[in-house]
Amino acid sequence: MIAGLRAVADWVWLVPLLPLLAAALTGIRVLLGRTAGDAGEPPTARLAEAAALGALLLLLAIDLSVIWHGWPGSRVVATWFAAAHWQGRVSFLLDALSLPVATLAALTGWLVVRFSAPYLHREPGFHRYFIVLGLFLAGIQALLLAGNGLLLFLGWEMCGVASFLLIGYAWQRPQATGNALFAFVTNRAGDAGLLFALGLAAFWVGSFEWQDLFAARLPLVDLRVLALGFVVAALVKSAQLPFTPWIARALEGPTPSSAIFYGALLVHAGVFLVLRLDPWLQQLPDVRGGLLLIGALSALYAWLCGLVQSDVKSALIYATVFQVGLMFVAIGLGWTTLATAHLCLHAAWRTWQFLLAPSWLTLTRERPPAPPRWLAANRWLYGAALQRFWFDQLGLALLAEPTRAIARDVRALEANFIDRAIGEPGRGRPVDPGRSLVCADGLPGRLLAAAAGLLQRFENRLLLRGRGGIGERLLREAGHWLRVLEELLEQPRYLMMAVMVTFVVIL
Amino acid sequence: MLKLLVFLPVFGAALLAVIPGQHRQLLWRLALAWALAALLVTGALLVVFDPAGAPVQLFESRAWNARLGSYFALGIDGISLSMVGLTALLTLVAVLVSRHIDSPRLYYVLLLLLQSAMFGVFTARDWSLFYVFWEATLIPLFFMIDRLGGENRQRAALNFFLYTLGGSVFMLVALLFLYDAAPGHSFAMHDMAEGGRGLPPAMQLLIFAGLFIGFAVKMPVVPLHGWLPLAHVEAPSPVSILLSGVLLKMGAYGLIRAAETLPAAFVAVQDGLAALALASLLYGALLAWRQQDLKAMVAYSSISHMGIVLLGIAALDPAGFNGAVLQMVAHGLSAALLFLVVGLLYRRTHSRDLADYDGLRGRAPRFAFFVAFGLFAAIGLPGSAGFVAELHVLVGAFRHWGLWVIGLGLAMLVGAAYGLRVVGHLLRPAVRSTGPDDMSGSETVAAGLLAAGIVVVGIWPAPLLTLVGGSTARIAALFAGS
Repeated sequence: MIAGLRAVADWVWLVPLLPLLAAALTGIRVLLGRTAGDAGEPPTARLAEAAALGALLLLLAIDLSVIWHGWPGSRVVATWFAAAHWQGRVSFLLDALSLPVATLAALTGWLVVRFSAPYLHREPGFHRYFIVLGLFLAGIQALLLAGNGLLLFLGWEMCGVASFLLIGYAWQRPQATGNALFAFVTNRAGDAGLLFALGLAAFWVGSFEWQDLFAARLPLVDLRVLALGFVVAALVKSAQLPFTPWIARALEGPTPSSAIFYGALLVHAGVFLVLRLDPWLQQLPDVRGGLLLIGALSALYAWLCGLVQSDVKSALIYATVFQVGLMFVAIGLGWTTLATAHLCLHAAWRTWQFLLAPSWLTLTRERPPAPPRWLAANRWLYGAALQRFWFDQLGLALLAEPTRAIARDVRALEANFIDRAIGEPGRGRPVDPGRSLVCADGLPGRLLAAAAGLLQRFENRLLLRGRGGIGERLLREAGHWLRVLEELLEQPRYLMMAVMVTFVVIL
Repeated sequence: MLKLLVFLPVFGAALLAVIPGQHRQLLWRLALAWALAALLVTGALLVVFDPAGAPVQLFESRAWNARLGSYFALGIDGISLSMVGLTALLTLVAVLVSRHIDSPRLYYVLLLLLQSAMFGVFTARDWSLFYVFWEATLIPLFFMIDRLGGENRQRAALNFFLYTLGGSVFMLVALLFLYDAAPGHSFAMHDMAEGGRGLPPAMQLLIFAGLFIGFAVKMPVVPLHGWLPLAHVEAPSPVSILLSGVLLKMGAYGLIRAAETLPAAFVAVQDGLAALALASLLYGALLAWRQQDLKAMVAYSSISHMGIVLLGIAALDPAGFNGAVLQMVAHGLSAALLFLVVGLLYRRTHSRDLADYDGLRGRAPRFAFFVAFGLFAAIGLPGSAGFVAELHVLVGAFRHWGLWVIGLGLAMLVGAAYGLRVVGHLLRPAVRSTGPDDMSGSETVAAGLLAAGIVVVGIWPAPLLTLVGGSTARIAALFAGS
């Protein structure tokens, strides 16, 4: 039994794969039309539940094995792809950071799946929800257990896409889709940081494995740039300043999804990433200082905004951001163990709160407390908090509007010049009045038409014509002259002359 | 066995000529049986032939005119065997789709005679015999176009006859020159090849010029292609199938045979050949793009595709030769398929204009499918035989001419433009609800055979490559030093 546990860590790849398989199976069932009506719901829910439970049990078994066999450390499962000297591997790093968080994530995931089945009963997007949830669970586990930056990025993106899809769960409402887009686009900024850092890692270190990255002796400047890429990604994902606004808009999805995404797991992914980078951060006190500052500011901001919120979910999300800000402060101070513990406790607690949110009114039966008097007295601060310090509007004015203007200009350029130069199908003019279907548009098309027209004229000359061609005219003329010659030869005097000429030539 | 192959269709033709009665169905069945028999013999040849064996197998030779040194010599190598297979298959297809042809007796007799002559061309191992069979293809073709063709048939037939005859006169003169210049004074191919290789380059060039004019008319190479658009458009569609599927390949086949004989000349004119090939490619593609008459479009695209063959031969390396032979097979299949469906459509609608085929998918889905399939195969979509061939040619030609092969890419691009235009029109919503009757059973079988051939060669080209690989490698070895 105990010896058998030693090998269990080799099966860790099943943890992300199980929810993914469940999602795929549900997707296939939807495609085959097997999910109609009430009878279609239990299999979907049970499948997702089984996958979540399987992942949880597997992780618990690995945790058990740790007691006897110690931390499994890095496990390389397969080579994903290889090009030249570097490779992307499917590898997992099971240590004191990833295993507890992953186990907690699996537990939360399982509970939320169980909670969701009755909560979403007879919702139109029931199966869609479970497919996306499976995608998310797979993504978050890949992110947490990843032994290299590439697999982490894969999980990171899967989570981002799942988050986008669930915020836009009620896609019939324009507000939901707008918010989904907002959250997604903000997250792309973080992805850019991550990709940037990964690219630099491939370039400077030649590997994506965490151990190789941490063992590499890089100049401090390079290390700082590398770490900053990751840190930006972490700040975006954990909704720290100045990226906080997206998370307030992300609560459009169904409540259980909000619980798992923004209460429990996804919002902590950034904290987790920074904790993972701890070996680097210890060499970079200035980056740690920056984290401390941003965490403190975010906490302050979230605290002020949270005080004036009037709905449950918004209040909860600002409380979440506040706590996450505190985690960054702890990391900035170097108290990583505290931050890890804080992360786990906060995730557990907040999940419960979010799941409870719909019942909050019945539970409390009271009006929420009014904002404290000192805040109400300070009009300016109160207004700023109510407006969430105008971050939304700032982002819109500074980023979205200029982007939109550029897009408009580029579109105009496209419509006025490039489209016309390239040509559009169905808009061309016939190259020949007799051939209405042979049309050409745009520069290449006109060039083609001109060349083809030229060749066609040449071709028409080249083809032997039955009547009236050059060949026939020449033949007729030759025939005419031959006939004249023959007529001349028929006259005796010319015949004699020809015979004489022949003799002269012979002699 | 090869004698059986060559003379079997002659017996069939004789039988069909003397059989009493005008029973259309009976004649069709008999011709079909004969075409199948020829295919069976070809299958047996494929079994017997060993790609790793001797260069020329099943060789049989009998003195024909001993004083002149000409022999009745037959034999096959990988290249000729693949062409024989193509001939047998396309003849079967041609018979399959000509169930309702006018004056069937004359037609089938001529068709079988033509098949015999084509087999002869591809199996002859003696230049004089080759020439005899080469000319022998002209006679049935002339009558088939002249008696059974479209409205301009007489002009087309005469045009075709004069062009090819003019070309073969040059070929004959060149062969006589070679006979005279080579020390062996024999027409047998291997004797002539040995003699030819020993000739000084200037002499080789002179002989090559004559041979090339003969072959280039047949292939055709721009600017000697004048007969092709007319003949293809006017010929009855089964004849178009054979004309583009097999007859054009005779030119390329002869050119490959000439490469064995006159290597120095080929090396000297290599760049010129490539330039001609690129000119053919672009010229054919551009003119095909300009046609609204489907049959004319396919005819011009044939010129373009035979340019690929010439480019492959001009590369003078194994990849190029392989690509050329593969392209001969691929184009044989795809052009035959296109002529088949277009010809059948013409017989039903009496129109070859693209405008009359709008929305064909709704009215006659099988026709639409096979037209689209043939066009995609002609473009050389991956998975079709044309792709494998073009890739080989591209690889072979790139080694010699580098970026010049972009001409091939351009021609392919234009090819895609006209192909997709036709497909787009086929898929439009139908204007009229009534349309031509869809393909009948035997016609579908014929088109399906060709389509299957295209896909099989496209996905699994290894057997064909092995078949021709030995022979092409042997020819390419002659140029290894250059």
